Amino acid sequence: MTAETILQMSDIVKTFPGVRALDGVDLDVRKGEVHCLLGQNGAGKSTLIKVLSGAHQPDSGTITWQGERVRLNTPMAAMNQGIATIYQELDLVDGLSVAENIYLGHELAAAGFSRHGDTERAAGRLLERLGHPEISPQQEVGKLPAAGQQIVSMARALSHDVQLIVMDEPSAVLDQEEVGRLFSVIRDLTADDIAVIYISHRLEEIREIGDRVTVLKDGRTVATGLSAPDTPTSELIREMTGRDVEYAFPERGMTAEDAPVVLDVAGLSSPGDFTDVDLRVRRGEIVGLAGLVGSGRSEILETIYGARKAGSGSVTVDGRRIRPGSVAAAVNAGVGLCPEERKTQGLLLDEAIYRNVSLATLGRFARGGFLRRGDERAQAEQHVRALDVRPADVERTAGTLSGGNQQKIVLARWLLRECRVLLLDEPTRGVDVGARSELYALVRRLADEGVAVVLVSSEIPEVLGLADRVLVLSEGHVVHEGQADDIDEHQVLDLVMEGSAA
Amino acid sequence: MSTTVKAEPAQPGQDDQPRRPVWRRLFIRPEAGSLVGAVAIFVFFFATAAPFRQLDSFATVLYTAAVLGIMAVAVGLLMIGGEFDLSAGVAVTTSAIAAATITYQFTLNVWVGVFAALGVSLAIGFFNGYVVIKTGIPSFLVTLGMLLMLQGANLAVTRLVTGTVSTQRISDMDGYAALEAIFASEWTIGGVRIRVLVLWWLLFVAIATWVLLRTRIGNWIFAVGGNKDSARAVGVPVARVKIGLYMTVGFAAWFVGMHLLFSLHTIQAGEGVGKEFEYIIAAVIGGCLLTGGYGSAVGAAMGAFIFGMTNQGIVYAGWNPDWYYTFLGAMLLLATLLNMYVRRSAAKR
Ligand SMILES: Nc1ncnc2c1ncn2[C@@H]1O[C@H](COP(=O)(O)OP(=O)(O)OP(=O)(O)O)[C@@H](O)[C@H]1O
Ligand SMILES: [Mg+2]
Repeated sequence: MTAETILQMSDIVKTFPGVRALDGVDLDVRKGEVHCLLGQNGAGKSTLIKVLSGAHQPDSGTITWQGERVRLNTPMAAMNQGIATIYQELDLVDGLSVAENIYLGHELAAAGFSRHGDTERAAGRLLERLGHPEISPQQEVGKLPAAGQQIVSMARALSHDVQLIVMDEPSAVLDQEEVGRLFSVIRDLTADDIAVIYISHRLEEIREIGDRVTVLKDGRTVATGLSAPDTPTSELIREMTGRDVEYAFPERGMTAEDAPVVLDVAGLSSPGDFTDVDLRVRRGEIVGLAGLVGSGRSEILETIYGARKAGSGSVTVDGRRIRPGSVAAAVNAGVGLCPEERKTQGLLLDEAIYRNVSLATLGRFARGGFLRRGDERAQAEQHVRALDVRPADVERTAGTLSGGNQQKIVLARWLLRECRVLLLDEPTRGVDVGARSELYALVRRLADEGVAVVLVSSEIPEVLGLADRVLVLSEGHVVHEGQADDIDEHQVLDLVMEGSAA
Repeated sequence: MSTTVKAEPAQPGQDDQPRRPVWRRLFIRPEAGSLVGAVAIFVFFFATAAPFRQLDSFATVLYTAAVLGIMAVAVGLLMIGGEFDLSAGVAVTTSAIAAATITYQFTLNVWVGVFAALGVSLAIGFFNGYVVIKTGIPSFLVTLGMLLMLQGANLAVTRLVTGTVSTQRISDMDGYAALEAIFASEWTIGGVRIRVLVLWWLLFVAIATWVLLRTRIGNWIFAVGGNKDSARAVGVPVARVKIGLYMTVGFAAWFVGMHLLFSLHTIQAGEGVGKEFEYIIAAVIGGCLLTGGYGSAVGAAMGAFIFGMTNQGIVYAGWNPDWYYTFLGAMLLLATLLNMYVRRSAAKR
């Protein structure tokens, strides 16, 4: 590998009203390397790459690209230089087809005519290269699941003639198998001397794929050129957070054998999604669902929550059967769902943070038709603190927060709401390591207070570490059920694979 | 340095994508609902109103549809691009007044007045688009402001120069005949009156359909209407597309304004108010979503055709025309339901 520097960003400053998002950031990237960008939620990673992709203009600072100083005024300018970006928030046009999205902005056209056939074939080849030949180029993007949309974003980046691909948390919506596939694509790219900037909160990934690491904290570069495989985790975390964080799961409570069953799901089936699922959660227990994306995990949660109608089976809370297919009935029975797609599902981007947090609980702050704003704010503030939302100003509008902090807001909403049954779908997606342990502790505390928790996560260690009991799902079937202590990551993976091979 | 990342050129005959059956693809097109509606309404009036069955009546229906339809197609494109234009109806009148007034006041060749009017119309469109894009004020408000300003200006300017609320005749001025031929000629073939405007309408629908479905600009229109921020992030020139769409509406308003001028000879300055809703309704009947990102030019044309049939059909059926709007409102709701159904079943596949 050559050590030639392809990109040099120096002293980049970018301010938004009231926030100095970037306060003199330096970054240098070499040809053919995977350069990892680390930092807590709100550290400025996405802002930095938006400056690089031409979406934001820096207030000051210089960008040197292939030895020349450049100004990247528009996304087009960056693309023409050979810089492609996969943004953190999925950024596709739902109404267009997969192929149209991939070539949006640089359509294949001849004499004014779009070449539909060529576009679709070229898109098909890109998808195949990414290991997803099953995604049809003609399909409408809005109907793809989140992981599929991520693949389309990736194909779009690859459709350009690029020297550098920036990936802002690409793995957040992928399961382990898909992350593996992503990594083999990245290895192909770097073998062709293409550089990759890779952002992720999962340190294991950075060890596996990264070459060098730059750490951002509060809009400044605090460490650069660290070796990705060799720098100890504790050091990375210390650089990111400025303190020592114990990266551990909270102690399990003892769920009494005779604790009452709060949530009882029996024989739940939904044709095409999952079949004959039995799930029993006792008071104070955390039950984890492990499985690949598409194994029916999220669908099960949504069905319990009444957002989908089951084909057959029943959901019982506290001994009372709830009407299937009715969210209102589920909510009345005390069921809460923190959904997987938090950006699209229920964040009011133009509203203040505290309003977003208290949205599901407004009833509690109403007295004689008036909302007691003071209480509302105080409660929200407490949760926002607990989850380490930055900046911790509950008056800010939610839309100005960084991706991970937006996730925390939705989480806070469901934690504030006093549920009997809490369904968590990918609760740590996009959440930084520092806040993760806080979140784990919070969930455990809720369980100890008597809430029945169901946890879905693509990160198997998280399921095994946090849950008391685990159900392993494969293609909509429960293939294993047991104590979390009695099984390890490899066994879970084997089960998942076996199931899908069968 | 070139990389292997670029997609290889396509090889012919390698289309291995499973294609959906033709009828299925037709059925999930945005205009499918309005096609069904148009056929139903046609059959209805054909059965109940005897005069409706004559070919000449059909020509009249087409003409009524064309006057509305040219605007509906432009407004439909704008709606697919995610914006509204409430000033479109009055802008038609503004354009005609501009042409008549400029020609008459300065005793110019009519061609000059007509092109000056084009400038005025495009400028109005540009202003609408520019303000919407640069300020972020919802287009509903911006164009409502424009509607009121134009409505006032139409009356004030006309009264100022003519002392009445209608424009002077310019039919004896140089260049009138040629322009009349372009915008308002008609022929009678076998007892059927064919108006040139209908042909223009069909041409514009064809061009708009081609642009939407076969050019990159078409993709961009869908993209800016569907998700403006994503579109911008991948390099779609969002501002130019939207301003361009407003100017397209401006162009259509000019064209229709010129037609009215050359077929009616004088223009009433108060005309045009309320028409903007008819354009929007036609586009919605034709399957354009109010939220943008979805719709078709053929659909908007179908919507206008439905308008034309209803408008004339009620007369031919000998009903009290007072019922026209009731009929229209019911149809709008029905068409919207039908379109929703079409979209749902397209989603299910
Ligand atoms: N459009 C905006 N308006 C105002 N503030 C913004 C805007 N975009 C980002 N910020 C602020 O800039 C800071 C950096 O945000 P950024 O999105 O770059 O963080 P990040 O490192 O990507 O975090 P995450 O890991 O959560 O994605 C945050 O404090 C955020 O609130
Ligand atoms: Mg980010």
